[in-house]
Amino acid sequence: MKDFTLALKWALAGTVAIAGLTGCGPADSGSGSGSSEKIQLAYITNGIDPFWDTAAAGVRDAEKEFDVECEVVMPPDGSTDQKRLLEAILARGVDGIAISPTDADNQVAMINDACRVTNVITHDSDAPDSDRICFIGMENYKAGREAGKLVKEALPEGGEIMLFVGRLEQLNSQQRRQGIIDELLDRPAQSLDNLEQDPVGKPIEGDKYTILDTRTDNFAYERAKSNAEDAISAYPNLKGMVGLFAYNAPACLEAVKGAGKVGEIQIVSFDEQDNTLQGIIDGSIHGTVSQQPYEYGYHSVRILAGLARDDKSVLPESGFLEIPIVTVKKDNVESFWKELKELQGKGKAAQDSEETEEAE
Amino acid sequence: MNAETPSSDSPSLEVKNLVKRFPGAIALGGVSMTHQEGEVLAVIGENGAGKSTLMKILAGVQEPDEGEIFLRGNKVRIPDPASATEHGIALIHQELNLADNLDIASNIFLGREPRGKLGWIRQSEIREKAAEALEQVGLKESVRTLVRDLSIGRQQMVEIAKALSFDARIIIMDEPTSSLSQYETENLFQLIHTLRERGVGIIYISHRLGEVKELADRVVALRDGQNAGEISKEEISSDRMVQMMVGREFSQFYQRIERPLGDVALEARDLRTPTFPQHAINFKIRAGEVVGLAGLVGAGRTEMLRCLFGMEPATGGEIMVNGENVTPKNPIEAIRAGISLAPEDRKHHGLILEMTVGENLSLPSLKRDQNKGFLNRKKEKILIDQMIDAMSVKTQSHRQIIQYLSGGNQQKVVLGKWLGMNPKVLLLDEPTRGIDVGAKQEIYKLMEKLASEGVAILYASSEMEEILGMADRALVMHEGRLTGELSRDEISEESVMQLATGQTRETSQSTAE
Amino acid sequence: MKKILGILGLLIFVCVFTAIKSPSFLSAYNMENTLRWTSLFGVISIGVAFVIITGGIDLSIGSVIGLSGTTLAYTLSVKGWSPYLVIPMILICSMCIGLFHGLLITRLKLQPFVVTLCGLLLYRGISRYITNDQSQGFGSGFQGLRQLAVGKVAIPFVEGFMIPVPCFLLLGIAIVAGIFLNSTIYGRYLLALGRNEMAAKYSGIQTERMTLLAYVVCSTLAGLGGILFALDVNSVQPAGLGEFYELYAIAAAVLGGCSLRGGEGSILGVIIGAAVLRVLYNAINILRIPTHLEFAIIGSVILAGVIVDELVKRYAARRRAIRSASQE
Repeated sequence: MKDFTLALKWALAGTVAIAGLTGCGPADSGSGSGSSEKIQLAYITNGIDPFWDTAAAGVRDAEKEFDVECEVVMPPDGSTDQKRLLEAILARGVDGIAISPTDADNQVAMINDACRVTNVITHDSDAPDSDRICFIGMENYKAGREAGKLVKEALPEGGEIMLFVGRLEQLNSQQRRQGIIDELLDRPAQSLDNLEQDPVGKPIEGDKYTILDTRTDNFAYERAKSNAEDAISAYPNLKGMVGLFAYNAPACLEAVKGAGKVGEIQIVSFDEQDNTLQGIIDGSIHGTVSQQPYEYGYHSVRILAGLARDDKSVLPESGFLEIPIVTVKKDNVESFWKELKELQGKGKAAQDSEETEEAE
Repeated sequence: MNAETPSSDSPSLEVKNLVKRFPGAIALGGVSMTHQEGEVLAVIGENGAGKSTLMKILAGVQEPDEGEIFLRGNKVRIPDPASATEHGIALIHQELNLADNLDIASNIFLGREPRGKLGWIRQSEIREKAAEALEQVGLKESVRTLVRDLSIGRQQMVEIAKALSFDARIIIMDEPTSSLSQYETENLFQLIHTLRERGVGIIYISHRLGEVKELADRVVALRDGQNAGEISKEEISSDRMVQMMVGREFSQFYQRIERPLGDVALEARDLRTPTFPQHAINFKIRAGEVVGLAGLVGAGRTEMLRCLFGMEPATGGEIMVNGENVTPKNPIEAIRAGISLAPEDRKHHGLILEMTVGENLSLPSLKRDQNKGFLNRKKEKILIDQMIDAMSVKTQSHRQIIQYLSGGNQQKVVLGKWLGMNPKVLLLDEPTRGIDVGAKQEIYKLMEKLASEGVAILYASSEMEEILGMADRALVMHEGRLTGELSRDEISEESVMQLATGQTRETSQSTAE
Repeated sequence: MKKILGILGLLIFVCVFTAIKSPSFLSAYNMENTLRWTSLFGVISIGVAFVIITGGIDLSIGSVIGLSGTTLAYTLSVKGWSPYLVIPMILICSMCIGLFHGLLITRLKLQPFVVTLCGLLLYRGISRYITNDQSQGFGSGFQGLRQLAVGKVAIPFVEGFMIPVPCFLLLGIAIVAGIFLNSTIYGRYLLALGRNEMAAKYSGIQTERMTLLAYVVCSTLAGLGGILFALDVNSVQPAGLGEFYELYAIAAAVLGGCSLRGGEGSILGVIIGAAVLRVLYNAINILRIPTHLEFAIIGSVILAGVIVDELVKRYAARRRAIRSASQE
């Protein structure tokens, strides 16, 4: 009996220690409790993803260059989480916020609330109906069309295509999806203000290509994988898979490998996860559309820093700063990856040094 | 009802040839019975004899398959409880049927509240009438007291008041004293006498023959769903009643065998229980001795037994088995030392109701019979068969789920599971509570047999007869204190009650040695 | 045995229905996948079944999975530790988590719900803290180790169909768990204390130790599950891995005949319960039903199955009663 009590004591001591560590640890916060007079910014993503790690690298670089502090906030659990974290940041007081809305249509009020007290810009995914000052991103619709072109290259004969995405409520996933569909069906380019979308759940048939369905997984990686596996089972003639979010294509690749159908099913990806780039090198993924997240982070901080110092010249004229898309295929993947690693290494180093400073 | 022509000759209630069948059993096979105006009629019988079914039929809870019911000579049907109420019949259950979150007044008029013009409940009228009803039963309690704040005995009074409030002519009481204290029981008896004087008829169902003897004007016995005889007030005796119920003679009820006593098997030295740490308890029990533990409710008997068994470890003193200090800190140590306890609350502490007879029987001995941690199914089966046989447990098979067995058979399993451990000391807490006469007798026989095999037995009982009939010696407790010991010759109703109410006798200590 | 007939019926019904509607359900590839997922979820469901049998509950399973999966990926890929060190370490840590729960529940008498709910938050927080909330992965490394989760074993004389490695793990665990529950005295103790802890105590059973053991088993299997999930998916999200898995595990256990009141449960039933859930997910994709309907369909199919099961049981009970009455 005695040993039980002893074990209990140890366990309790452990908990206390862990709680203590969490309390004073750096967590993901880039900004300290603000000993300096530096401008405080917040960079809010729409979830947790390596994509945002690269963006964070851009944030870290810009932080140094423009002499500001920027907290990178990754809400783990969708739009309610985003709201909670945003409110916390506003409550604390901040000189500028860059946010990637998870659900643009329904978050207008939330974003406008923030606009009233600080400078708000959107990045990655826009909320055009809100009072945000500007949007930094690419045209997701355009990116979608680029991905469509990659599919056409990979499958010149046509065939059945399946799309995979984390969530479809987000504007960027809707636009990407529609871009792919329109490209594959050779439709003319649509205007973004009034995007007509094909319904989900029904096959969309074109002359050569059929888009079977769009499967969502709510950012659960294992669901992404099992969705891909089930698609391979359900559609024996499946020829192509497009992963709309960064982790989707690697998940598809796992499934295709498991089925022994590498080369038989072509995969087209978005973004630049290591597994995706490795897949392109190996030839198991045809190509990816990169949106250069580093630039998102960098320019968000640049613009917010300027605004905080009342410098309007940092604003893009149209209210939209377009970050160019890069298409990565076998021929340019190695140089792209090398550059990416350098950027990330730079950002990482900056973050690390910041953390050590704080620890002291 | 008023339109009926009451004739003074016809009994207030008469049933003829009632038959009630259930899937798998015939509860009543043609029972007839009469109840005269204003008499206390006791209905006795073993569990399963059909008493409860008969009463449920009278209260409209169940309808008979065959047979007739007459009220004051008029044939009636009682299809539901509401019509029973209309006919002036009230049933007071073993489990009370009060809404305990409401106050007394609301309970008395529950479902038949007097209403005003707009349908409002007329609270003041309810309270007035409820107060009258309480006065009739002699309950001094505000009508606005919540029922859940009342003791069980008082709740029962409320039930009776409720019956009187709708002018019940016949009140059926099903085991009314099963959860009452001595004091409450006496109160109830007084009330029954008052009601009888006022002309209210009582049908009284009980296992407790002492109560029946005290109360009844007439006794009707049932056995296996049939009439098993009837005796008038003059003829009432425990012998006759037992004979009718079980078809045997009472004189064989407590069959005591002379047996030699061995060495001291169990000894408590300055034992202090967590509940009553201020009193040190000292006693010795010899091998082969059957010792009764008497006392009123709350005297600390159960607490002491639990302490001896290590359930609530002693806060001081020593417990010795065969001269060795074992003072158990938990039941495992007690069992290892050879102490077993059949607890008072069979359903919650004694048995695992959802498990089978066999699984219950073998539970304590699994560890002893284990085969490197694995179940030893062969040994388990032998033990189970042996115990079912030794206890004469009536069950279809050892795979029967135990909750479907009768109380008596369940109790036999509780004993059986400990006998499998070959205890040196057997502690029994109310070993015959809620079981019928036949099973009681079997358990007494078993105790005798175990004692003659050298087991020391200490049993707590609230039934005086059981202490008088079974004990070689009696320990009596009062409020956590051991007030005395009585040798076989000294045990009498008076001496036990004297000690149980806290009057210490000087002579009792000396006879203990 | 009788208790699992209903759920087995539901499983067969869903399988047959899907197979008729779409032949690709029975394709070797799909069967392999479904078996693999069932095995992974089966492992954690068996764990929670132990706790449910004691009448308790463990809500922290998902977070323990997250912690173990994250730690695995982090220590192997980022820290470069040896798997021979990391895997035993993770399993021991998981055991300690279970021990911690068990001690709080049996010694301090805290409610299992509260203890494990706090665990749910605590372990999720720790995984996110350790990794700074960054996704972890194995890249193209650790192929050998990953065979534990994604590997397949060919069956002699059968072409095309291979058995996923996790199936063997599940089988092993299930056999051990089944023997423990049905053939050891401790299994009997566990069932007894789940029904009536006081009566078990009066029978001289160390109920607290058995309860403790159940929580240790549950967390250890959750830890093992976390390792397998991480190896399978190849990419681990500290905030996401294992989220809500406790509910899947509890659902599988209850579907498989465990009563939340405690004292009941069969290992085979739990595995079938896990299979029902996985087959339903699979069937929705195979039958080309839009993803957004999946929860509605899973919820209604299970509910319908449970209702039918209950009705059949009542019907059977009535029939038995009538039959025994007519024999009198």
